[in-house]
Amino acid sequence: MEMKYDHIMVRFGELSTKGKNKKDFIFRLGDNIRNALKEYKSLTYQVRMDHIYIKLNDENPETVIERLKDVSGIYSFSLVIKTDTDIENLKNVVLDLLLKENKKTFKMRAKRADKLYPIISDDINRIIAGHVLKNSEYKVDVHNPDVLVSITIRNDAAYIYTSDIVGAGGYPLGVGGKALMMMSGGIDSPVASYLLMKRGVAIECVHFAAPPYTNAAVIDKIKDLCKELNRYQAKIKVHVVPFTKLQEDIYKYSNESYAITIMRRMMYRISERLAKKYKCLALANGESIGQVASQTLVSMDVINAVTNMPVIRPLAIFDKTDIIKISKKINTYAISIRPYEDCCTIFAPKNPKTMPKLEEVEAFEEKWDYESEINDCISNAETIVVTSENEDNLKNYL
Amino acid sequence: MIYFDNAATTSVNKQVLDAYYDLCLKYYGNASSNHAYGLESSRLLSYAREQILKLFGLEKTHQLVFTSGATEANNLAIKGVALAYKNRGKHLITTSIEHPSVLNAFKQLEEEFGFEVTYLPVNEDGVVRIEDLEKAMRNDTVLVSIMATNNETGSINDIKAIRKVIDNYPKCFFHSDTTQAITKLDIDYNLLDMFIASAHKVHGLKGSGMLIIKNNIKPLALLSGGGQENNLRSGTSDVPKDVVLAKTIRLALDNQKQSFNYVKKINDYLREELSKIEEVVINSPHDASPYILNFSLREHKASVIVEGLSLKGIMVSTISACSSKRNEKSHVLVAMDKDIRLASNPIRLSFDESNTLLEAQEFIKVLKELLAITK
Repeated sequence: MEMKYDHIMVRFGELSTKGKNKKDFIFRLGDNIRNALKEYKSLTYQVRMDHIYIKLNDENPETVIERLKDVSGIYSFSLVIKTDTDIENLKNVVLDLLLKENKKTFKMRAKRADKLYPIISDDINRIIAGHVLKNSEYKVDVHNPDVLVSITIRNDAAYIYTSDIVGAGGYPLGVGGKALMMMSGGIDSPVASYLLMKRGVAIECVHFAAPPYTNAAVIDKIKDLCKELNRYQAKIKVHVVPFTKLQEDIYKYSNESYAITIMRRMMYRISERLAKKYKCLALANGESIGQVASQTLVSMDVINAVTNMPVIRPLAIFDKTDIIKISKKINTYAISIRPYEDCCTIFAPKNPKTMPKLEEVEAFEEKWDYESEINDCISNAETIVVTSENEDNLKNYL
Repeated sequence: MIYFDNAATTSVNKQVLDAYYDLCLKYYGNASSNHAYGLESSRLLSYAREQILKLFGLEKTHQLVFTSGATEANNLAIKGVALAYKNRGKHLITTSIEHPSVLNAFKQLEEEFGFEVTYLPVNEDGVVRIEDLEKAMRNDTVLVSIMATNNETGSINDIKAIRKVIDNYPKCFFHSDTTQAITKLDIDYNLLDMFIASAHKVHGLKGSGMLIIKNNIKPLALLSGGGQENNLRSGTSDVPKDVVLAKTIRLALDNQKQSFNYVKKINDYLREELSKIEEVVINSPHDASPYILNFSLREHKASVIVEGLSLKGIMVSTISACSSKRNEKSHVLVAMDKDIRLASNPIRLSFDESNTLLEAQEFIKVLKELLAITK
């Protein structure tokens, strides 16, 4: 019999703590895995309450492994050999496997999930180790083995593996509901999106555009960022809000030093409306405490006063260097630093307030009918759907 | 016409040319421009780069520099690295059978920049002896450049064994001129710090090539300017050319195995038939690349026969096209210790998958006729 890794065993980790929701979680994870791997057509899946098994059917495991690493809700996974539980067979398969690994020391770790199996785990270990010692140069090392051979015996088959690959962790995407991410195109918002997705929260995005001050290249940038994020969420909607008129009026009716504060308040108001319209349960953004004037706690308080929705700020306590590190890891950094103006930088005031006062802000806002402009923003918003599939036709040239 | 000179250059793949034509018309934007149109070009360029690295499984460890061909790529690898790391040491190693774009880069380093270069000899099969390399290695050796497949004889060097020796000298980089090997032979590219390709040797465009180089190596740029190609090769990116290099490599790799088996049949047939001709001495060793078959004539002058074949519509080389104008003996065959008469009279046949056994038969027939009627 030719011995080869024919399955991937996926473990859930954190999900195990989730009581009666567990089933929903696991089915959702199963769907997400299928979705992430859908281009590998010959894979077949077995979703069980203990593990998810992916049968490789001769697909190249390396590319499948790379994809799985990005699927949130997976604690770890292993390439496994599925084989008959007969002890003679197990002896030979393990010996074969170790000879192929070509190392010096090993340790056995058998587990009976099927308690009706006639040999207890300790004896399985002893019998197989004995066979290996007799027929190879291998020595046992229980503390620091070169190869740790794990065997799980179930009633239908035995699963043998020698390595654990760390998964993305968190929860399966979608089980945490959906949030509306305020996506500027900078370094922070894609990283915040990624962290939310890892936590199981799906996103839709809102982007505030200021044509003709900002151009189409910014929208391309947002699309490219979402394309990278498609690795974690296959379909991302981006609502592009034309913000120019409102922004100009902010500068017309308020003191320049308050402009950013009021602009952020307007953005929050618009985001809240969009979130309700598209059934998002929370707002989210890439704000980090103290990073810029509008992100001091005092500013956040005044800005946040316009909404009762939960506002999630995954990066609130991150240092910029750590944020950059993550953005490089998820391939968004190089896109984020493309030098385009966004609506925040174009009108950036010289001395923005770091300690804005709510009464003053409200006094400025009373000067004009911003409500109708907000309504215009919402009704003129355009929705773009970015998916991993609509690969651009540029690739036909390659 | 029977074209047996595919080591000199190959025909252009129609798919490559169609894509190139289309790209020239549609994507003339400067990849360094920040407008949306330039961005498309830059996106295309990064797709191309990514695809090639991925095809070789090197997307995490290596970077790619698009060049004007193999000569530039070899020069950048050799002179760029030697000059950038000269403070580590000024000793370099290469072989006596390299292509002129390698040999002369080393000559320049030797003559103009005060480097010391060891030119390794080869055995009678044209292959570097590992013990010679071991002996030549020193603590101040910063670069070893050994070609994967020789362009005149097809002799193959043992990359794995060479890497093993160099691994004992962590300060030393390993470059390989893979022009005649890439997409033709199985090579573990992970073992190489630097290697190159020329598009026109594998059915791509002339004036197109690349250097693939480990991320941690920073050669001195030979062309300074706007900082394109990660500051390693300035000059406005030729996006259509570079993009179809990705296509060229992909098509060639897709076809590698099939093509290899095919040309091997032609090569085997010719080797057998040629060895029946008394006057012929076959220079390519048995385990050479099947894409190249080199032999010498004991009596006849090779140049006369090559011209005679040409008149009959059969295109072959004497020594490599890059050296043939100089009317010299082959430095490769000399290094293989062939006698002067043989080294001065080689004929190189080189194949691709469009050649046929019928053509090979025709070649043998015409060659025999020519040998019979000429002096």
